[in-house]
Amino acid sequence: MFTRHVSRQLAAHMDGELTQPLARQVELHTAHCAHCRAEREQVRFGMEILDRLPPVEAPDAIWLSIEAAFREQRSRKMPVARRWRWAFSATAVLALLGAAYWTVVHRPGTRWDVVRIDGSPTVIRAGEWIETNSGSSATVKVGEIGSVEVAPNTRLRVVTARPGEHRLALARGEIRAKISAPPRLFFVDTVSGTAVDLGCEYTLNTDEAGFGLLQVTKGWVSFQWQGIESLVPAGASCRIRPKFGPGIPYFDDGSESMRQALENFGFEKGADGALNVILAEARVRDTLTLWHLLSRVEAEDRARVYDRMASLTPVPAGVSREEALKLDAETLKRWKEELAWTW
Amino acid sequence: MLRIWMLRLGIAACAVGALALAEGFTFTIGNPVASQDFQMKAAAFVFRTNGCAEPAKPQISGTAEGLVKQARRSVVLKVMAASKPGVYAVFQNWPAEGDWVVNLRGACESESAGAIVPIGPKGFIRESAKFFPRPATSEEIEASLKALAQSENKGGAK
Repeated sequence: MFTRHVSRQLAAHMDGELTQPLARQVELHTAHCAHCRAEREQVRFGMEILDRLPPVEAPDAIWLSIEAAFREQRSRKMPVARRWRWAFSATAVLALLGAAYWTVVHRPGTRWDVVRIDGSPTVIRAGEWIETNSGSSATVKVGEIGSVEVAPNTRLRVVTARPGEHRLALARGEIRAKISAPPRLFFVDTVSGTAVDLGCEYTLNTDEAGFGLLQVTKGWVSFQWQGIESLVPAGASCRIRPKFGPGIPYFDDGSESMRQALENFGFEKGADGALNVILAEARVRDTLTLWHLLSRVEAEDRARVYDRMASLTPVPAGVSREEALKLDAETLKRWKEELAWTW
Repeated sequence: MLRIWMLRLGIAACAVGALALAEGFTFTIGNPVASQDFQMKAAAFVFRTNGCAEPAKPQISGTAEGLVKQARRSVVLKVMAASKPGVYAVFQNWPAEGDWVVNLRGACESESAGAIVPIGPKGFIRESAKFFPRPATSEEIEASLKALAQSENKGGAK
């Protein structure tokens, strides 16, 4: 067992450069050492920042300065006026580089303002954590695209804060997001997957293990995990679980028995009874649930789901039973867009 | 004789089929998500036109008709075209107080359509919406408003 801190190995570990036994030792140590975990976060943050820094072309002046420096070194005779000129050039180059760095770091949307319930405002950047206890909450202004209310007992990290991507990681607790930006700019990572904003307002909670619930009040949210996607519109909810990702979304005004059946079906295989209840209880707007079920049930049950959907609302032109049962992506998309008029 | 009957039956069947297939100019209403346009997420509801050869061309207008403290009110609607042709959003620009129905009117070439959409405390009431192949009459609007007020009073929602 490693008893000494592993600070020196952290960067190499993240780059995958350590041998397997050494990497294992680092993982074991960091699992138990808060100091090294904190240091790992700092290293990761630094690496992320480096990854995101755009390449900035060196100004021509820097080459002139370098060449001038070489020339001066060669001659070893530098008049005072030229020495001052060189110093001025070097200063100007440094100022330019500093300005470029400042512009990158302080671009609009890269700083998030946090106001805690006790009223103390602060600014948070990528890599930093927001943590509330049982008696506190906070409001985070997400760049220029919206805000996130952080409920008590919540631990949240800002992963990315730049105009093209705003990403949080919700370790535990609850957030309420109100986003007014084009789709796919705001993301919240959890143990069980990622909530992708499609223009929405929603509440997302999770415990540390990844069990949680997504409830959407406006617009759409897409919850994704390893190729599984649940599209949750306003008025609907979706359970999330570790190693299963998002469950099947359902409208909050649906029957309790249907919700219970979805609990059993969504995360357990072979829940035939549950499928029977879902099909029997489904209303027209519950085609939201059935549309998701099409691609989640076993092939032999797919026709039953299709038939129930077709009995609830007319199948639109361009959607054939054959293509739907084959889970043709374009067919399912067209059908979903038509069904959305009933959701 | 049998042939003539068969022929008549065939012609009649074709005529019925053609009538059934000929979709008149109508409205379909839905929740904002149906527009597939994130800018419409805060709308009271969205609607689309059906049966207009050029979906971007119909003339659309409407009013919100309300009953506030026994007084009739009328507000010109704020209707916004969504990114998809033929899809529109109605944003609430009428007061929260009172009972309100939305009266939609549309015209596409020689055809027209109308709809009355009641607004409840939780949003538009799809089940009580009425659709017409013409603008709704003032009697129909008053009747819908009265029915909404009665149902709200029964439910004690307001």
